[in-house]
Amino acid sequence: MKILAQLTFGAAALVLSAGIASADKLEDITAAGKIVVGVKQDYRPWGYLDSDGNIVGLEIDLAKDVADKLGVAVELVPVVSSNRMEFLQQGRIDLIIATMGDNEKRRKVVGMIEPNYYAGGANVIAPKGSGLTAWADLDGKDVCAIQGAYYNKQVARDYSANIVAFAGVPEATAALANGSCVGFVYDNTWIESQLASDAQWAEYEMPFVTEQLQPWAIAVPLDELDMAYGDKMRDIVTDWHKSGFLIERNAANGIADNPFLQEQQDRLK
Amino acid sequence: MESFEAFFSWLYSDHGINLTIGYDSYDRGRFLDGVWTTIKLSVLSILFSLIIGAVGAWVQGSPLRILRVFIGFFIAFFRNTPPLVQLYFFYFAVGTVLRVTGENGLPQPLVSNFGWAVISLSLFAGALNVEIFRSGIEAVPKSTIEASEALGFNRLQTYAYIVLPLAVRVALPSLGTNLVNLVKTTTLAYAIAVPEILYASAQIWSDELNVREMMNVLLLSYIGLVAILVWVLHRWEKALRIPGYGV
Amino acid sequence: MRASFYPKTRSTPPVKGALPVLLPYRSPQATQLSLHEKLFNGWTVLALMLGFAWIMVQQVWAQSGAAQQASVPDILLKWTPVLLKGFGFNVLISILSMAIGTVLGVGLGILQVSPVTATRRTAWLITQFFRNSPWLVLLFYCILLIPFEISVFGLDIPFPGWVKAVIGLSLPVMAYMSEYMRGAILSIPSGQWESADSLGFTRGQTMREVILPQTVKRLAPSWMNLYAVLTMATPLVSIVGVSDVMTLTRSALAAESRVDLLIPMYLYILSWFFIYCYPISRLTVRLERKFAVKL
Repeated sequence: MKILAQLTFGAAALVLSAGIASADKLEDITAAGKIVVGVKQDYRPWGYLDSDGNIVGLEIDLAKDVADKLGVAVELVPVVSSNRMEFLQQGRIDLIIATMGDNEKRRKVVGMIEPNYYAGGANVIAPKGSGLTAWADLDGKDVCAIQGAYYNKQVARDYSANIVAFAGVPEATAALANGSCVGFVYDNTWIESQLASDAQWAEYEMPFVTEQLQPWAIAVPLDELDMAYGDKMRDIVTDWHKSGFLIERNAANGIADNPFLQEQQDRLK
Repeated sequence: MESFEAFFSWLYSDHGINLTIGYDSYDRGRFLDGVWTTIKLSVLSILFSLIIGAVGAWVQGSPLRILRVFIGFFIAFFRNTPPLVQLYFFYFAVGTVLRVTGENGLPQPLVSNFGWAVISLSLFAGALNVEIFRSGIEAVPKSTIEASEALGFNRLQTYAYIVLPLAVRVALPSLGTNLVNLVKTTTLAYAIAVPEILYASAQIWSDELNVREMMNVLLLSYIGLVAILVWVLHRWEKALRIPGYGV
Repeated sequence: MRASFYPKTRSTPPVKGALPVLLPYRSPQATQLSLHEKLFNGWTVLALMLGFAWIMVQQVWAQSGAAQQASVPDILLKWTPVLLKGFGFNVLISILSMAIGTVLGVGLGILQVSPVTATRRTAWLITQFFRNSPWLVLLFYCILLIPFEISVFGLDIPFPGWVKAVIGLSLPVMAYMSEYMRGAILSIPSGQWESADSLGFTRGQTMREVILPQTVKRLAPSWMNLYAVLTMATPLVSIVGVSDVMTLTRSALAAESRVDLLIPMYLYILSWFFIYCYPISRLTVRLERKFAVKL
């Protein structure tokens, strides 16, 4: 009975304390001396593992810059599309910089920082000679995808494609390579950089016009959006665009020019 | 149906409980498809695992040593390696080798991910079923087998008509446990993107961001499925009961 | 379900016929080794390992024409240190989950035979719930719904992903353990309770000093079997985003991106689990036989 009582108490404490968040995140981060950033590690060259096991890439450069501007150290936590928002809500990470598209539904869950820092859309990587020329060709075909990508549902609905979603990029590309699906629907940014840089993809192409262009946003917890922490992040992103830092880092990581970055710089200048 | 959907919409707007499968027909369709896939996956795997178990146990009693050794290897391998890695091995490794050229000239896999899930799960559960049937067969009295031999049954006939039916009855309790385990193990098919309940739920909570609600629906669905299986097994056990044997 | 097929052993006192001289003579060899037992010994395990090695070597011969490529065994060897680290992590997870699950399970099992109806029912319900839920779903539940940090009395207890995975895996272990515990306690002849009672032991004392020590032997085989099952469930954590041997294997395969590597690599990992789990299940069978005679 005693054990049961303790269990119940423990469960109650768990439920109660889950809701309690500290008052001011920015102060907490400064006090802790580090900011925990959720980044991708399977999304070259935005975030990936180098041969020494460190996470590097464009978004890691951004994360480090955020830490520098706050005067704290940076801790990187690898996330995937299906868990990044939960991690932020639970407080495991303080900030998401993980190729996350900005949309209405997600704005109800996390605090999307404006201006957006990047933009990308959906496209398909398919073997050359697959006969795919337009999105409508996907009708009734198996298409590999990643769990939690925002465009999966639309591709399935609009083109009647049969989405076969895997948890990670290695599984999806393995399934594409063994012919389990006609193509792999993913961010056009990722596909372009893979086709350009990796010999593994020599026999593949990106046959469609990029669709569902969506701005990407870094995100803070929802209740921090209008607090000092959210304001600080807005300033930082604005500064990235104004100073040309994003364009410079984009090129330094070997990514093709993104018209969105130029637009933003012109707009904010 | 409208009041049903209205109820779930009200649940979301007034209480923040976002059960999209209640009011969004697309999500409900995905989820029900998932339930159906899990049922198909479970039933097929149970069927094949029982066949593997029965055949394997028969072969284990064979006078041919090489056959017995083979079955022994099969059991030891599938019983002592992780089912998830077995599934990956079949789908990503064997599946990549087993390919045919499709109509567009590109290689296509011979077996779909659903097919591999059935194969892998049947072999995994079948290996244990062989052992369970085996212990059931050992419990069949020698005199029964001798009696059937005296009646002119050959080895296969004795096995099929006399030994197996008795062995199944003895083995039913542990067989039931294993089959319940098998239904629980169908969740692994998620890893190779077979659209079963877990996969469908994960799709829904990634799109709608209602993790908590879907997670509870998911748990309840599995408990429901297991409960149905337990009930069926219980009925089966009752129907097969040997009069005057046990309580 | 079991009760309907087997005569009740519980009600018959073990004294009758327990004297060794009264037992019918059995040839020791005939009863001790089952067929499956005879087939499996150190030698056959070795043969199996050689079989794996042969499959890998054959792959090398098959592609010996392409000399500039690294051979498959070389690649496997190259990744072995990294993968071993991942495998060590799997073993660590299994040990921690087993420890937590066993402690909770024993407690829950004792509650399942409590004289208080409400306690007994609650413990039974918890046991059944976790025993009949899929492991992977429980893992998802813990990974996504346990907060990253829990503050109890102003103390912040962090919960990184792998800790949540350990908790997630320990829940089904707890449930199975609870069920085994209940079975073991009920299998102790009621005479033990009665004699302890007549010696003036309280219920708690009887449980601690008479019943529980006797259950250890009965639990040992199932406990070890459960550990093997748990170890084979640890690769599931890779699905919920905790890095383990499976994650590393897939990264290694992605990094090498060679089709002829797939089968040897997966067989290699399978054989590691086999080498780790097979001795455990052998020992389980041996213990089962050893303890079964004494009842």
